[in-house]
Amino acid sequence: MVRLITHNLLACHVKGCTTNNFPLVFQDVQVELQVAEFNPDFIRNMLSRLEWTALVNAAKQVGDTSLPPEQPDMMDDELLQKLHHVLMEIHVTDGAMVCQNCNHIYPISNGIPNMLLAEHEIG
Amino acid sequence: MKPVKSVTIIDDPQAHEDQHVHAVYDQIASHFSSTRYKPWPIIAKFLSDLPTGWIGLDSGTGNGKYLPLPADRPGSVLTIGLDRSRNLLQIAQHAGSEPGCLITREVVWGDVLGSGWRSGVFDYAISIATIHHLASHDRRKLAVQRLLQAVSPVHGRMMIYVWAIEQDELSKRSIPASGTDGSNHYPITGEDVFVPWVMSQSQHTAKGKFKNDVPSSATSKEVASAVPTLVAETPVYNRYYHMFAKGELKQLTVQAAKEFGLMVGSPESANAKGCRGVEVMQEGWERSNYYVELRRWVS
Ligand SMILES: [Zn+2]
Repeated sequence: MVRLITHNLLACHVKGCTTNNFPLVFQDVQVELQVAEFNPDFIRNMLSRLEWTALVNAAKQVGDTSLPPEQPDMMDDELLQKLHHVLMEIHVTDGAMVCQNCNHIYPISNGIPNMLLAEHEIG
Repeated sequence: MKPVKSVTIIDDPQAHEDQHVHAVYDQIASHFSSTRYKPWPIIAKFLSDLPTGWIGLDSGTGNGKYLPLPADRPGSVLTIGLDRSRNLLQIAQHAGSEPGCLITREVVWGDVLGSGWRSGVFDYAISIATIHHLASHDRRKLAVQRLLQAVSPVHGRMMIYVWAIEQDELSKRSIPASGTDGSNHYPITGEDVFVPWVMSQSQHTAKGKFKNDVPSSATSKEVASAVPTLVAETPVYNRYYHMFAKGELKQLTVQAAKEFGLMVGSPESANAKGCRGVEVMQEGWERSNYYVELRRWVS
């Protein structure tokens, strides 16, 4: 599945595509919600890995506008719950992710993103 | 003892892997997965020791058996599974699910030589029984460098497992003997082999135990004469492996790290602030495999 936590780690790796290759932009996505167990310690500790603005924009692309545009200094329980939902419960099952720099399309089908490149695209 | 067969790679390494690794795993995915469910203890411990909130990459996840770990603190870390076989990923996607309770794992279809991540974004990376499927020294070295690149330069942890030439007596396989006596010749080179995988419908029902390996010298005709006719029609797939010699995995990782611009040793060995390095935390042999654990550091 492509959850937003995974999307926030992925970057385009086409040969020569090294700037503006993150974040990939969702396109024509189908979304499925699956309840996941809330682990506030996990969310709190892993937050520093994420690019906040990329997360907020990706959430908007899949129809969720619950996150504030700037990362708050204090993480209260309500915000952790929202983050849990956005990061762990929204699954992109089909569609694509597109590189803003080189326009490479990474398809998603049955919840599996295809990050394979053709031989001549590999850096 | 079930012998494996020595092989010399004459075609392009990538084409060789496509035919003798990727195509095979896509064919045998579900049968293979039904025989692979026990985590190696040293890897289970590695995953158990990770702090809560860490995010990792399982490069060559196969059926995803490490994705649900650690068993004592499920959900405390998130491991993302990468594999070249889409059919295996479809199994990995629900690894550790119980009947009636489907759990979804994060999986990505990709190549272990790719780098479709923000550099250094992972806290840890594991590569279990994967690098030995790459058909040249340079490709195996690049695979190690992709792991070094994927993890945090400050605290990234890595665990790599590969098949050893030195197999224990419990193993079903015997390895052709040839000049690899573990002595310190440079460079240390392992053995390129085919390991046969027999798809057998009839054996699915036999006491729930699978017999996957037959002598690779046996042709399908010889197999047919030895066992009931049903098996005669079952295909044999030859999987390519590079079996590592004693010392070869460490040598490979040290070379990969140095050429990646890292010092190799403890952080204390750096003579200036701001140096980047990697430390070998442990290495060894466990049940027919060599392993090495690494940590990145900045002084
Ligand atoms: Zn790109």
